[in-house]
Amino acid sequence: MSKKELTENEIISMKGRLNVFIKLFITVLFIVIFSELIGVKKYSLGPGSVVLLPMLYAVIIGLIITPDILGKPLNFLRNLISNEEIELAGTMVMLALLPLGVKYGTLVGPNIVKVVQAGPAFLLQELGNLLTPVLALPLALLLGLRREAVGGTVSICREPTLGVIGERYGMNSPEGTGVLGTYMIGTVFGTIFFGLLGSFAVTSGLHPYALAMACGMGSGSMMTAASSSLSAAVSPEMKDTILAYAATSNMLTGVTGMYSVVFIALPFTNWYYTKLAPKFSKKGDK
Amino acid sequence: MLKKNLDQLKLLIVIGILILVGQKVGFMVVDKEFSVAAALPGTILIIVVCLLSLMIKECLPNLKFPAFAWATMIGLILSMPFMPTAKAFLAYTNEVNFLSTTTPILAFAGISVGNKVQELKSMSWKIVLISLLVFTSTFFGSAIIAQIVLKLQGII
Repeated sequence: MSKKELTENEIISMKGRLNVFIKLFITVLFIVIFSELIGVKKYSLGPGSVVLLPMLYAVIIGLIITPDILGKPLNFLRNLISNEEIELAGTMVMLALLPLGVKYGTLVGPNIVKVVQAGPAFLLQELGNLLTPVLALPLALLLGLRREAVGGTVSICREPTLGVIGERYGMNSPEGTGVLGTYMIGTVFGTIFFGLLGSFAVTSGLHPYALAMACGMGSGSMMTAASSSLSAAVSPEMKDTILAYAATSNMLTGVTGMYSVVFIALPFTNWYYTKLAPKFSKKGDK
Repeated sequence: MLKKNLDQLKLLIVIGILILVGQKVGFMVVDKEFSVAAALPGTILIIVVCLLSLMIKECLPNLKFPAFAWATMIGLILSMPFMPTAKAFLAYTNEVNFLSTTTPILAFAGISVGNKVQELKSMSWKIVLISLLVFTSTFFGSAIIAQIVLKLQGII
């Protein structure tokens, strides 16, 4: 931590830092082998089923071996995974996502006709994101948050939203605190949450293809968690279409996400806030 | 090739190895046949596309289109039915299992958020509750509209 910040180019350079790479890669190799050995598990829960995939074990194991959790009591873990390895892991996520991106492409490509036919649904479902402030802003105000609520509920708060809020209000503003809060919870628990929601959502009665489109929220790892567990929970012949829809929706969100926050979600949330906030303030003052 | 791209290539090769090892173990558990040799050409093709998407992103910094999206785009174009590349590209890359590519990502992701746990503890339970509602409503908001439009179109 006290060492100088490395640039992105320096992080991926092995020169003089080979031990950091070796420690991280061996650790991940073991996590991968262990997670794959457990394999896919399917449990029925109430009216639906929950599908546990190797990636879910991998994210949990990866998290608990870090210095703040198991690394604290266990010395050898702290030596294995320190801040340097954690920093490299962050860059590795971005690179490791790419092969998955290619695989998604090969799922969309052969189904391109089907995807284009569903074009209107893809574009309009982006508007569904407005349900986020509609429901979450009142809760945030009820819990006593003020302007933090605007940042935290304007959208699912992935990187584009972080950028927009940071530029408009500054990261140290109340809005910045809010957006950072939801962003962090999403980063740490998002894949776990959507991995479970993806399979359980089938019980909502919504069609798996509609749910598939909803999986694309602008985060590669959340989309993967949601769509993989969704496709594992329904009949196998739907699998390819589900993954293709999810990947396409995610790609579109990548393109439109920032603009929909700037032009639609943020103005709406601000307007909604000015309407709602007075009702929630204790003495009726602003 | 730039030094940066060479570094990226080395790391992508490591990721390729992690994917293949994971797939070998995963297939073993369910008693499925898997030969690393058969999956090797597909893995190499995937790595080449990944490197290409990183280079494209670097060349177009103003577009704000992430490398992940470029990778999907290239994979998509190469595998469209009317493309001459489709048959071979799909045949090779299909040897690489979809789920096997996800496990290393999430292993790295888990480790990468390790230094944020303290920060998270200092955040109140309120933000956790709000975030969970944010996730759920984003998901179902989109799903409900998609359901209506797909129904109107007669697709479902």
